[in-house]
Amino acid sequence: MTAIRLERLTKDFRSVLAVDNLDLSISDGEFVALLGPSGCGKTTTMNMIAGMETPTRGQIYFDERAMSGVAPGKRNVGFVFQNYAIFTHMTVQENLSFGLRARKHAPRREEIDREVKRIAEIVGVASILDRKAGRLSVNDMQKVALGRSMIVQPAIFLLDEPFSNLDAAFRAYMRAELKHIQHDIGQTMIYVTHDQVEAMSMADRIAVMDQGVLQQYATPMEVYERPANTFVARFVGSNPINFLPASELPAHLLRKGGGDEPLTAAIRPEYLTIVAPDCDRAALRAKVNLVEPLGAKDVIHLAHDGQELRVVSRPQRRPALGEHVGIALDPARLLLFDDHGQAVS
Amino acid sequence: MASVRTEALTKRFGSITALRDVSLEIADGEFFAVLGPPGAGKTTLLRTIIGLETPDGGDVFVDEERITETYPGDRDIAIMFQNLALYPDKTVYGNLAFPLKQARVPRREIRRRIEETAVKLHIERLLERKPAKLSGGERQRVALGRALVREPRAMLLDEPLSALDALLRLEMRSELKRLQRDLGRTLIYVTHDQVEAMTMPDRVAVLREGEVQQVGRPEEIYHRPSSHFVASVIGSPPMNLIPAVVESANGRLRVVHDQFVVEALAPVERLSAGGSCYIGIRPEDVHLSSGEGFAGRVYATEPLGGETVVDVTIGGRIIKLITAGASGLSQDAPVRVTFDASRLHLFDADGTTVLSSAGDGSLLRVKDAGRT
Repeated sequence: MTAIRLERLTKDFRSVLAVDNLDLSISDGEFVALLGPSGCGKTTTMNMIAGMETPTRGQIYFDERAMSGVAPGKRNVGFVFQNYAIFTHMTVQENLSFGLRARKHAPRREEIDREVKRIAEIVGVASILDRKAGRLSVNDMQKVALGRSMIVQPAIFLLDEPFSNLDAAFRAYMRAELKHIQHDIGQTMIYVTHDQVEAMSMADRIAVMDQGVLQQYATPMEVYERPANTFVARFVGSNPINFLPASELPAHLLRKGGGDEPLTAAIRPEYLTIVAPDCDRAALRAKVNLVEPLGAKDVIHLAHDGQELRVVSRPQRRPALGEHVGIALDPARLLLFDDHGQAVS
Repeated sequence: MASVRTEALTKRFGSITALRDVSLEIADGEFFAVLGPPGAGKTTLLRTIIGLETPDGGDVFVDEERITETYPGDRDIAIMFQNLALYPDKTVYGNLAFPLKQARVPRREIRRRIEETAVKLHIERLLERKPAKLSGGERQRVALGRALVREPRAMLLDEPLSALDALLRLEMRSELKRLQRDLGRTLIYVTHDQVEAMTMPDRVAVLREGEVQQVGRPEEIYHRPSSHFVASVIGSPPMNLIPAVVESANGRLRVVHDQFVVEALAPVERLSAGGSCYIGIRPEDVHLSSGEGFAGRVYATEPLGGETVVDVTIGGRIIKLITAGASGLSQDAPVRVTFDASRLHLFDADGTTVLSSAGDGSLLRVKDAGRT
């Protein structure tokens, strides 16, 4: 287990600045997600931590020891990729024990068996140890890949979109599993993903990146409730956040800070409530455009002055298409951004 | 526009049966989705309707006209595939005109149809652009336009949104639904995404290994699934399934688990004492409780922002529940949970639904196993 620190880490691929002056501290035993769209620099960052890319500038520290010049094989880093790297001609047992058997001073046979059994229980493949890995389902292959990296007890665990080939139900299952395992073994983990649900649900902290630049580094709830800028606000959240010009809101809802005047207001769809159009609490008025039932809740699309607003609500109060409604909002949940898209505190 | 009907459609590829006795009736102007995991036979079904595959048994009808042997080009059905396959060297106008030129439609008619379609799809200002200069959503609309200009009797869409990024997919989902409503076209939409199948269509058919499992309105399927397979492919996170044993006491059926008992308040068919069964409950119908409830421990918490999925271990099994906002719970914390008895499902040992309470609280009662 190891703490990691990135200091002004930069990677320049000739014309493209893939990672730009990245400062990031990851505590010992912490689960950090690097989140962003494709091309944001998250995979390049991970590759530099693993030693597979050399930084153009800046430094990487493992427990305050500088890593420049340290070969990838000497960094004690475990990897799980999107395409599970397992040996399909070997059994699950052989795959799991491989890392221990390959050591210069390999442990004794009984010790390896004990360790394989323990890890197999953790990742949920104990009942299929004798199966050939090539015959497994995609889901089980990924569990084996996870177990294979865990057994060598790396100082740091790097995972690059490990769930993206799995089906939705199994992904939901594995999210809870991985989070539980990580908490149990207290392993430092860096998890690269473009899927905000994975980052939110599993990580202790999320580093949101865009075009090589760190946008925000905070806990999932902080990133969700207090996004640093409009990029983060838009990228995080299963139902898109609503934006509207601040001038359209009643003045008493707008907190005036010491700094810039707020230009854009934003509010998450679950913090809007549909009320009667003449209700005192109605801050805005709108017309119902579309109702999307999701089962547990509805997404209601509203037209307000040519703009679209979304409200997420329980299906009990479902308005009719074309109905004119009022929208109440919780001022404490209102987010304000200046003309550069930065949060106004 | 037209109705589409398949009758006992069967298609085999060697030893694999891709479609087995698929009978579906799609009404004129209906938005109809086909949902299933990869390999369920969804794409084969579309390809058979359009005529790219010849069925081994059964028939396809459009407006009650049998078209099973009709040449694909003469069926008057348009299809839009997942990879949009726009011609990169042609302008949007050229792309839209292409299928019409092929069909030898007069030039003036081509212009009229393209202009009309472009207005409907809000792409009238993009007609002179090349596909490379369009955004993902615009390309999607052009591909849709290319299917529409032919004024087909029905349109088939094969996972049209799956290649888009998450935000754009969300945008297109509601846009496509609105478009279909405005155009009033018969639309058959294939997807493996349960959210799309819930939100867009009038009705959904759930397919598994080439067989139709259930056809109905999305909410009907959500609240009254015909089997635990259907229950598990619709809704996210999926429905909790808890194995239990059937007992009978005082003439009443009871379903027993280590921690709790579900008592039927009315007769339940197809379950007999001594057999096994499953209790199903969706995560939003399980609640954290400060007093009453079954004891468990937090296995993991998954904050999603507006809500949190809490995984609780109860009697050796993990039950997922959804709670609003942040849970404030840490791993291993002791908690109590209650089940909403008006939202329970019972499945027999084969996974077929025996009962869905679907909002009716008078059918089942949940009790603590220690206090019977």
